[in-house]
Amino acid sequence: MGSQQIELILKDVTKTFPGGVVALQDVSMKLGGGEFVALLGENGAGKSTLMKILYGIYTPDKGSIILNDEVLSIRKPSDAIRKGIVMVSQSPQLIDKLTVAENLTLGLENVKPLGGFSTASKMIKEYSLKVGVKIKPEDKVWSLTYTQKQLVEIVRALMLGAKILILDEALTYLPIEERKKFYVFLQEFKRNGGAVVVITHKIPEALEVADRIVVLRRGRVSGELTRDEASLEKVRELMFAEAAKEITYEKLPGSVKGEKPVIKAKDLWVQGDFGVHAVKGVSIEVKEGEVAGIAGVVGNGQRELLEALIGLRRVDKGRITIDGLDVTNKGVGQVRKMGVGFIPDLPLRFGVSQDNNIMENIAVLFHRERFVIDWVEIQELTRDIIKTFKILTPSEFYPVKILSGGNLMKVVVGRELNYSRRALVAYNPTRALDEITAVQVRRIIKAKAKNERIAVLFASEDLDEVYQLSDTIYVMNSGKIHGPFDPETTLKEEIEKLMVM
Amino acid sequence: MIRLIVLKRTRPLKYGRLTTVALALAAGILLYTLILAVIGVNPLLTFSIISASFISSGVVKDFIVLTVLGYALLVAFKGSLWNIGAEGQFYMGAVPVIYLTTIVFFTTGSVSIIQSVLVIAGSIILAILFGGLWGAIAGAIKAYAGVDEVPVTLILNYVAYYLVNILILGPFQGKYVYGYKRTDLIPEAYQLSIRVQLAPTGNPVIDGLLSYVRELIIFGWWVLALAMVVTAVWWFFNKTSLGLKVKVLGSNPDYLVTAGWDVRKVTIATFAISGGIVGLMSALYLLGYLLRLEYPIESQTAGYGYLAILVAWLSLLDIALVPVSAYIISSLTNAGISQSSAPEVKQALAQAGFAGAELSFRWIMIGSILLTYSVLRFLSDYEVRVIRE
Repeated sequence: MGSQQIELILKDVTKTFPGGVVALQDVSMKLGGGEFVALLGENGAGKSTLMKILYGIYTPDKGSIILNDEVLSIRKPSDAIRKGIVMVSQSPQLIDKLTVAENLTLGLENVKPLGGFSTASKMIKEYSLKVGVKIKPEDKVWSLTYTQKQLVEIVRALMLGAKILILDEALTYLPIEERKKFYVFLQEFKRNGGAVVVITHKIPEALEVADRIVVLRRGRVSGELTRDEASLEKVRELMFAEAAKEITYEKLPGSVKGEKPVIKAKDLWVQGDFGVHAVKGVSIEVKEGEVAGIAGVVGNGQRELLEALIGLRRVDKGRITIDGLDVTNKGVGQVRKMGVGFIPDLPLRFGVSQDNNIMENIAVLFHRERFVIDWVEIQELTRDIIKTFKILTPSEFYPVKILSGGNLMKVVVGRELNYSRRALVAYNPTRALDEITAVQVRRIIKAKAKNERIAVLFASEDLDEVYQLSDTIYVMNSGKIHGPFDPETTLKEEIEKLMVM
Repeated sequence: MIRLIVLKRTRPLKYGRLTTVALALAAGILLYTLILAVIGVNPLLTFSIISASFISSGVVKDFIVLTVLGYALLVAFKGSLWNIGAEGQFYMGAVPVIYLTTIVFFTTGSVSIIQSVLVIAGSIILAILFGGLWGAIAGAIKAYAGVDEVPVTLILNYVAYYLVNILILGPFQGKYVYGYKRTDLIPEAYQLSIRVQLAPTGNPVIDGLLSYVRELIIFGWWVLALAMVVTAVWWFFNKTSLGLKVKVLGSNPDYLVTAGWDVRKVTIATFAISGGIVGLMSALYLLGYLLRLEYPIESQTAGYGYLAILVAWLSLLDIALVPVSAYIISSLTNAGISQSSAPEVKQALAQAGFAGAELSFRWIMIGSILLTYSVLRFLSDYEVRVIRE
């Protein structure tokens, strides 16, 4: 790290997207060395766009980036990296087939070509020890967990000589314990003169780690708070204005669950991505009108269980029935046809087709029976979803790739909720949504269970969400399931204990 | 300091696609003229030959064939399935046509109108099935074995060439061909062209127009088929659920899986449709123009299957632009042919030591047009700004 003190200024940045969506309007922001800044805002507020401009992924229409009195011209990420600005995003950009050391050596201009491997190996060993996440340089990337991959990404950023580290939801999906280790490490980076910008939608965490909080609202800076000034209420007010009072974590009123089981799994054994069993003998039953939540630290088989239920993953042993019909290994098509909605992990990869417009994205799921599509009907449905979920888009005819990450997630959630006639299977149903939208989505899920008698099975890493939404709670740990528990009578501490035991 | 920056347009450029095509065309022709001028061909001559070919009725036949084949490939390309096997699908489509017309129902005399219609219709339907099947084989290999479709379709082209060659040398060898390695001529009763005579008026403009009309009448059945293909392809992509699935397949197959569709089935169906349209054109081409197959088959057509790839690519997979790009490609191929047969050009090339390379030069022209086009097409999506700092 250079001894020079860093001072970065973003000045009057404006950015308009295809379709005329104004993502940023005259946004100015400062960042100093030794500072940890959290950038907050609701979905589509412009957080990612601002950081992507700083990192050279987008070019601003107007505005300048000034580093230590020098006006920078950043047109591509390599320009940014040369100035010590590096961004790590939520999805790892590593090459699966290569080893950790090989990945780290790629694209390093300032590492000697021959010494690259040994430097990389040394650094990854050092940081793996420092952060407390085990990685060997010769590990193939495909065999790593998400946490390990993110550590490799951050080490790569440091090897690139990062002085300003931007984390765009990079830590959001890590298990709490490991996330904490990363934060300890980032504090050290900061003490050595580095600057950190974190984008997250988890406000309490931002309050805990950041020295300063910058809040964006609808493409403008709505306020800045120092660590001492900031409180959950103040931040929420800056983020959502009056709407902030809609946020609640109170338990939503439950419904009377029926007697008829909709989703039923018996002694299920399912393999994970690496050929070992990720689900080990799980039995679970969700009845009509019931909302069942699976709590658990990420990577304990929840994803594999849900994917097996929907038909995306082969079942080695055991039975799945939906509405009494055996659908074990019958494929996704069969399960979908029965009216089961599904919110996948990595929704942007598995849940939308970016080059197609919202209507097409909806039609490809809804339109199952006839060969000719009734576009009038689909358009009505689309407009309805856009309105209900306040999706920011110029029209239903635009390719969804111009939408922000949060708005894309709304397309997925809105579509799947509408599609659920009998059941909804969801993995982190409110991931990437801001608090207000998240609460709204939970209310809609609950209402569907109550009024339309659908069965809901969801997994979430957010225990508050599990408690707010569930009629029944399960815990998944190392491929095994514990429960059912009644949220009214079971303490959070007990659930937490089961999650990590 | 002045800098150039490239920005994604917030609104697509009006008429951007047409502008791009026009610019590419101009640049390619200019480059070609320049190269020939260096060798010693008068630029004015080159220009006049090229312009003449754009308004010559001689392009009508190639235009129709390339438009239909262009649509066939567009169907697959929209799904990001790179079917470069139109050549093979074309010749496989020819097999049942030759078998029905020159072997099973061969006749030297006249037949009832009902038999004519049935044989022609049967040939066309079987050609569609054969072409579709040949396409579906490539699709199935991709879907079930995971082999990339580009080498597969390419290899299947050669398999088709040699299969048909073997047939011509063996069971399809004609009885009335004096030992030539070719099939018999398709009997007149099964031919699909419309005969027409239009008396010249003496006025060059009217005669020019009349010659277009004449060609359009001669290939009247093709024009009808073309209209049907355009309508069907448009309907397929805008109204049907399979068409939508193909589009989603082209953008994100993972979502198609999550939505509960079998990507393998969609892949095979897409290839079958693509190959089926090629088969349709194959039947029409044989019944209406070629009338027989000859060994070696590779040299029988002007490489339509490969030219069609250029047509589909140049159209930017826009249904409305396929005819435009087909017209451009067919005009240019024809320009290349007239250019190479012009005595002045022959002489200039011979003097410069390029004797016999005449036809290769047209590929330079087509190549440079596509190259400039590929570079320029970003203009419709991006803008370049000059800023002073």
